[in-house]
Amino acid sequence: MTTMPAPPMGGCLSRLSRLALPWAVARLGFRRQFAYPQAALWGLITNAFFGLLRVAVLLALFGTRPQVAGYTPQDAITYTGLTQAFIMAFSLFGWFDFMRAVHRGEVTSDLLRPASLLGFWAAQDAGRALGQLVLRGLPMLLIFQVIWGLNWPPGPLAWAQVILSVLLAWALGFLFRFLVNCAAFWSPDAVGFGRFAWALLGLGCGFLMPLAFFPEGFRAALAWTPFPGMLNTTLELWVGVTTGGAAWAALGAQLGWTLALLLTCQFTLRAGLRRLEVAGG
Amino acid sequence: MADLKWHLSLYARLLGAQIRSQGAHRTSFLLDALGSLLITAAEFAALALVLPRFGGLGGWSFAEICLLYGLAELAFVLMDILFGGFDAPNLSAHVRSGSFSTFLLRPAPLTLQVFASDFALRRLPRVLLAAAIVGYGLMHAPLAASPETAALLLASVLGMICFFGGLFVIGGTLTFWTVDSVEAMNVLTYGGRTLISYPMDIYGAWLRRIFTYLIPAAFLSYLPALHLLGRPLPDGLPEGAALLGPLAGPLVLAGAFAFWRVGVRHYQGTGT
Repeated sequence: MTTMPAPPMGGCLSRLSRLALPWAVARLGFRRQFAYPQAALWGLITNAFFGLLRVAVLLALFGTRPQVAGYTPQDAITYTGLTQAFIMAFSLFGWFDFMRAVHRGEVTSDLLRPASLLGFWAAQDAGRALGQLVLRGLPMLLIFQVIWGLNWPPGPLAWAQVILSVLLAWALGFLFRFLVNCAAFWSPDAVGFGRFAWALLGLGCGFLMPLAFFPEGFRAALAWTPFPGMLNTTLELWVGVTTGGAAWAALGAQLGWTLALLLTCQFTLRAGLRRLEVAGG
Repeated sequence: MADLKWHLSLYARLLGAQIRSQGAHRTSFLLDALGSLLITAAEFAALALVLPRFGGLGGWSFAEICLLYGLAELAFVLMDILFGGFDAPNLSAHVRSGSFSTFLLRPAPLTLQVFASDFALRRLPRVLLAAAIVGYGLMHAPLAASPETAALLLASVLGMICFFGGLFVIGGTLTFWTVDSVEAMNVLTYGGRTLISYPMDIYGAWLRRIFTYLIPAAFLSYLPALHLLGRPLPDGLPEGAALLGPLAGPLVLAGAFAFWRVGVRHYQGTGT
């Protein structure tokens, strides 16, 4: 199970062809998102409706206050538009794909590929995320821009930081989702474990409310978890709540957590694969 | 009468089988129940934790919000437990796999079998949480403890169960024709639940009017709550309008089951 099959040509794979597989996988993951345009359209309408309700709640909370915890009402609208835009790209409502592959034994065919298992799934998810960002994220931002108007990052530096942060938020979120899905190696029915984890994610990453609105103690506790880096950091960089040195520190925290979760994932995956027994048939 | 008794005992036996099967993987079930509870708890905590900073929401105190939020959540979770079998993802899975056709073969009423086909026990802890939120609201919001209050609250919950149950039945029936676009119903079901969890005057007048006069969601709990809290009804509606809620729900449910019967007659299976 642990031995990799020899590369197809027998010799060393060049750097280029080693990247060819993940690239192809990512492209397929991207294209697959466009298979059901009607479902995507309805999903967009549903998310836009929820966005409308969430904006109403946030504006009612602000009342006549011009600013709370660094957010203006316009920032709060932008925050809502961004969270609604990232739901599908970051799979904030949950992701059970790898769990299913383990439970069905399909993971064995993944292991036969001349690529790392984690890299293969990461490439697939990167394509999927980009597809969802194009298909549902950008239209959502457009809807918010047309109805309420959004605040945009103020300059090239802020844009660069936001883009870097989006990439790190995806990577961090993917590693967390993958780690949760690894529970499938130990439990025949790990869906409950997943639902538990996604509920924590929703509160901890700032999807339900901007983390800046929460009490100090709660935020201090969350700062010790990777959750804020999966969404909130990006949002605060975008609306300009985090700037200057704090922005670089926030990006550093995202990178640190990404590396930590990467190691944890590799360790867990190795332990999980040692346990793996696939039913014949 | 004997018919009803037989149906009830049949329903109880089907549920018993479901409950036993859900107890098979105990750890997973517990985590699933906890996860399900945590989704509601997280959503409510997000509101409860930020409200102190803002003082209130559109002139409503925390306790008053608890009342609205808790009533909607309580009714929706109870409805989800009762009507889960009609929820579009469940029913469309039965239709696509062809197992819906086997429902038709069995010597038991079809509707009863669908009712008992997805009884998610893991949602029970959410019922307790929702009841606790309502309880907090009742204790701290300024409303009179009277038989009238109790009757109106009970009627409001029952009305909401019927209303959202009706939407589930309509969504499930639509899957006989199309497996796509059932997500459109989510706007009304999950969207409607979220919509009525907050005081409806925070929405634009047009949105509130759509969900008052076109889709009668405001009658379910918002107008009764306004009445009980001694607040004026919107659009100069007479006080009596607050008591109409219990009628709106059963009407939607009756219409939904009429549609269901049309759908079942139309059902052809998928050829699988």
